[in-house]
Amino acid sequence: MQDILFYIFAYLALQFGFLVVANPFSRNPVTSAMFLVLTIASLAGLFVLLHAFFLAAVQVLVYAGAVMVLFLFVIMLLDLRAEERERLRTFEVVAGLISAGAILFIFLATLVHSPPGIQQSPTAEGGTIALGRLLFSHYLLPFEIVSVLLLVAMVGVVLLSKKNLK
Amino acid sequence: MNIALLSHEWLVLLLGLGLLLADLWLPPAARRKLGYVAALGVAAILLYSILFVRLPAGGVEYAFGRMYILDSLALFFKRFFLLAALAVLLMSVEFAAEIQSGLTEYYALTLFALAGMLFACSANDFTLLFVSLELITISFYILTSFQRARTLSLEAGVKYLIIGALSTSFTVFGIALVYGTSGKLNFQDLAAVAPQLIGNKLFLFGLLWVMVGLGFKIAAFPFQIWAPDVYQGAPSPTTAFLAIGSKAAGFALVLRVLFTAVPAITAQWSHLLIVISAVTILYGNLCALPQRNVKRLLGYSSIAHAGYMLLGVAALSAAGQSAILYYLSGYLFTVLAAFTVICLVMRHAEGEDISRLAGLNQRSPLLAAAMALAMVSLAGVPPMAGFFGKFLLFKAALAQGATQHGYYWLVGIAILGVVISLYYYFGVIRAIYWPGNAPDPSPIPVSRPILLSIYACVAGMFFLGLYPNPVVTLTSKAASALQAETAAIHATATLPKAPRAAWTRSLLGPASAAPSRP
Repeated sequence: MQDILFYIFAYLALQFGFLVVANPFSRNPVTSAMFLVLTIASLAGLFVLLHAFFLAAVQVLVYAGAVMVLFLFVIMLLDLRAEERERLRTFEVVAGLISAGAILFIFLATLVHSPPGIQQSPTAEGGTIALGRLLFSHYLLPFEIVSVLLLVAMVGVVLLSKKNLK
Repeated sequence: MNIALLSHEWLVLLLGLGLLLADLWLPPAARRKLGYVAALGVAAILLYSILFVRLPAGGVEYAFGRMYILDSLALFFKRFFLLAALAVLLMSVEFAAEIQSGLTEYYALTLFALAGMLFACSANDFTLLFVSLELITISFYILTSFQRARTLSLEAGVKYLIIGALSTSFTVFGIALVYGTSGKLNFQDLAAVAPQLIGNKLFLFGLLWVMVGLGFKIAAFPFQIWAPDVYQGAPSPTTAFLAIGSKAAGFALVLRVLFTAVPAITAQWSHLLIVISAVTILYGNLCALPQRNVKRLLGYSSIAHAGYMLLGVAALSAAGQSAILYYLSGYLFTVLAAFTVICLVMRHAEGEDISRLAGLNQRSPLLAAAMALAMVSLAGVPPMAGFFGKFLLFKAALAQGATQHGYYWLVGIAILGVVISLYYYFGVIRAIYWPGNAPDPSPIPVSRPILLSIYACVAGMFFLGLYPNPVVTLTSKAASALQAETAAIHATATLPKAPRAAWTRSLLGPASAAPSRP
């Protein structure tokens, strides 16, 4: 049952992810953003299968919810008509396909030749209590540095988007 | 838990936050001077570090469950970064007129990037590696696009953001694969299990991806594509900090990962490292030849220098690692001198074409001499720092030549690169001293702090070129810390679990409370 669910979610994540960047039917950025929501929802499903419930919830709440609303705001505020009309250049498509294909090939060739990772049956420890304990004990230092990082990002966004250059 | 262990980082962060707060109460006219406050603060921290920070008898201390390490290598890099930031902050004060808004934030972000570098050189765990790298990179995204009125600056910021985000995703993917196959994030834990994982392709793939992310930081081929554009577009002090700080932080992490975490696997990667080093040297030097923009030229030359330093990594020996540290020290003084001059001469100019340096000799003989000496040092002509650094690197690689002939080829290519580089470095010197008609013959005023900074850089270049002994002792000691930790791992094979620090116990109550792994 778990295996079947894994394949379903994994397939959906890949399929929707592909549609975000290369949708044959529409080049509307809003459509792409909507497919990104679906991709994130499928990823949340994968996290649930790994018993990482907190991460799954955060994926849906923060990414599919808050971040995507921001994305849509930006897309609608900017005039992306010109972007929509622009044709894809053959060179760019070919170069992109070659590099992505090469990485995929190396990765698949590696996967075929390697044993599966550490076998650990997932235990239900992806909840908030276990996560909180880890964040404030073992991972305290990186956690605190992330707070500085967020401050830097916030200062940067305010500066770069401020209207008047005085 | 010894809070004094992280004193460099806390002090720099406090200084940065203090600046942001001070901005609220200061009149706009006084903000420019805040840069001097920041520089003084950094100087005080550097002085404190040299006078009071001492390593314990064992030479190494850990904090936060062995996530943070303080050894002679980390201490070397911490002082290195503080020195770099000091000169960059002085440079920013001169550059203040060009920054339309958010001057205080510019100083504060420079300090936050510095804090990221200080954390990076103490990283002993992939989590800390990733977070500190991100702190550096995100600060630089903003610093790069700071001159919003200039299209070039914005373009540089966007390019750096996109390529940086891509390389970050590679790093995360790599770390995930390493963790997935080994179950370890800590470098020493990883070193204990890495010899069993040599045959595991997925593990090697993960490590390679981590190296892609670090290769982006040091601008090694084939991850160098951003360097010229970003160097050209960014404000000059940012470019200087990017060239020195960001690159050195990348090398600190490359050394830690390759020689502490996975020495057994690095030994098998000598071919790869040799090829990357050779191609990086050739690419950087050949592409620099036709450049007319000084900052762009230095961007390509920084790629070439990353190649020379990778030669030290490829040598896989303590001598090679020590030579990298020595080379970085020389590069620090040289690049800072060059960018200080560029910052002063070209701050009001639109483009940074080489021809703008014409007649510099008449306008300010001091700046002309500093720039010329910096170019001589970058080219690696004796008696400057760059020569002795290259000498040490080539010597370390040649010492390994007996085991593998590729090293001879590599040194041959590196010498070819040096010969090519002579052409474009001396092109800059010719522009300075050639009696051409200067676009603006007025003399250039040089403020006292900048004068001091230029004298210090020139003195550093000569000192490292003429009296290498004290610094060689320092760098070989720092490099030996890397070796000692590796040796200790091989001797014990499995390390005892880190004793849980007292603060964790007080935080979590009885011992059974915290699981150590997710």
